[in-house]
Amino acid sequence: MRWLTLYLRSRRAPMALAVAAGCAGLMWSLWAIFSKDRQVAPQMVVLTVLLLVSILTLTLSSPDYALDRTAALSWPPRRAAHLLAALLIVVGSLVLTRYTAAHFGPASVLLRDAAGLLGLTALGASLLTPARSWFLPLGWTLIAVLFPRTETVADQLLTWQSQAPDNRPAVLLALLLALAGLVTYALAGPSRRATADLPA
Amino acid sequence: MTRVLGIELRRSTAIGAALILLAVGVALLYLFDEGDWSTGWMQLAMTQRLYLGLLWPLALAAGAWQGRREHQAKVTELFASTARPRSHRTVPTMLALAVAVAGAYLLMTVAGGVSLLGTAHYLPPQALTVVAVGLLSLVAAAWIGLAAGRALPWLVTAPALAVAGLGLLLTIPGATRPRGWLALVFSPIYEMNMPDAYTTVPGRISAAQAIWLGALAVTGMLLFASRGWRSRVTALLAVTVGVILAVTVMPHRNRQVVDSVDPVAKALVCAADEPRVCVSRVHQGLLPDVVPQAREALTVLTRLPGAPTRVNEDNSTYLSDVPAPRSPDVALVRIRTGRTADLTAQIVVAAFERPYDCDNGPDFEDSLAAGFWLIGEPPVHEDPDTTAGARLRWQQLRALPAAQAKAEVAAIRQSALTCR
Repeated sequence: MRWLTLYLRSRRAPMALAVAAGCAGLMWSLWAIFSKDRQVAPQMVVLTVLLLVSILTLTLSSPDYALDRTAALSWPPRRAAHLLAALLIVVGSLVLTRYTAAHFGPASVLLRDAAGLLGLTALGASLLTPARSWFLPLGWTLIAVLFPRTETVADQLLTWQSQAPDNRPAVLLALLLALAGLVTYALAGPSRRATADLPA
Repeated sequence: MTRVLGIELRRSTAIGAALILLAVGVALLYLFDEGDWSTGWMQLAMTQRLYLGLLWPLALAAGAWQGRREHQAKVTELFASTARPRSHRTVPTMLALAVAVAGAYLLMTVAGGVSLLGTAHYLPPQALTVVAVGLLSLVAAAWIGLAAGRALPWLVTAPALAVAGLGLLLTIPGATRPRGWLALVFSPIYEMNMPDAYTTVPGRISAAQAIWLGALAVTGMLLFASRGWRSRVTALLAVTVGVILAVTVMPHRNRQVVDSVDPVAKALVCAADEPRVCVSRVHQGLLPDVVPQAREALTVLTRLPGAPTRVNEDNSTYLSDVPAPRSPDVALVRIRTGRTADLTAQIVVAAFERPYDCDNGPDFEDSLAAGFWLIGEPPVHEDPDTTAGARLRWQQLRALPAAQAKAEVAAIRQSALTCR
């Protein structure tokens, strides 16, 4: 338990969780106050998931990467657990809105987008650096929110974040990204070019 | 100063931000058909403004990412202890980022313009204004981002700011309803979608938008470049004055861009020799493509008594309802860039069509049949039901003796002309 506490503190997890809760609360209250409809608009759902994922994945950055690597710990399961916990927090917190004045849903979309975006961000953390890991997910998701396309399979893959819940290509791509991100990040860890970054 | 600026360009996020903006912008222009900008420069400029919906939040994020550099490198206190004004250090950073995002936007215009070079001969000055306002909006976004990154130097700031920026752009139209002119002041992308051939953005609208965006840029600049409460108060003043001025300059009417018509773009331009073939100035570059087909159509039509002897583009506008002038000796035809392959048949059929504001003339299927009877081919139309109906009518015409069929066709034309 002490190790877990120390780990979470070194990654600024309490701060990230507080900011994520604040952002989720802000989105929730914006919708609850300004809209008559209980069901939150799909664009807002996708943007909220993106925001929570980008906030929580900033906890992947460590105060000292070189020191982390020298530790005699088996990192892969810990890294995987870190990502899965982030997924659980994003999906769990938004699923809980089901019985409130602003319902973020459906759950399948939450799960698909959170998993896909987390995988993409984890890939970014391994290939770029954790501090830059939000670049691609942010750009891609903003495109998908603004200009959703549904005609061909290529269009559906290009804007997978904002497809309907039952869209098979989108689900498959999200699954692929999630698995690729999870495996790459768990095994390889953050990019070796990552310098100590103030994660706050 | 130039040396410092060069170093800033190389060592800051400027180049990276510019490349990302340029790549995203060009991909949007060529991969997404949200706006059809093949007609001309104005349409390209407006479509670029529509795509600011994505580029604007990205510029905010780039600014915020750059704004936390001193905090990230832990040199804030060290730099604060040097006996030089803060602006000496911050102005090059701001200029580098502004040059980068503005350059990316201009290169995006150039990348789109390359495919217009052959056909678009008409460059209205308003198109340049529309591009300039787009540039200003990106610079304002980058500088506001810098100020936000300096005030909240966390990694979270940049993505959160981008999401907030997009959210703002998406909610402005709904929040200002029913006062659409307010949305036009504050949102650089409002009413920029689906520009038609004669659309323009009146100068006063661009002026009001430029005032607001300029005020925003000045605010970002003051908050980032200097310190102390004086600059914060000045920044607040700048934004307030900007809002008041922009709201004053903007005409208080809705749907100003959607309903606007550029009379110069709409004016007819004619090919040199007889028979006369005229298109609107926007489509002037298509004349070499249109003229041979139009003259071929006129040759086909000579078999009619009282046949049209000239071809004009049908430059009717519907939102401010101005129909194109009609007369018996002119055949009117709709012209769209990229769809000028089969104009001959369209012009021949147009000679038999009733005007759109007339309820009694011949059915469209009759007009199709009559036109294609003259051409001597079975009718084709994009709608299969219409094609089937027209073919039936066409076969009836073919079954008649030649003189009788000709009389029927002439009657269809007469009925279209007189609307009876």
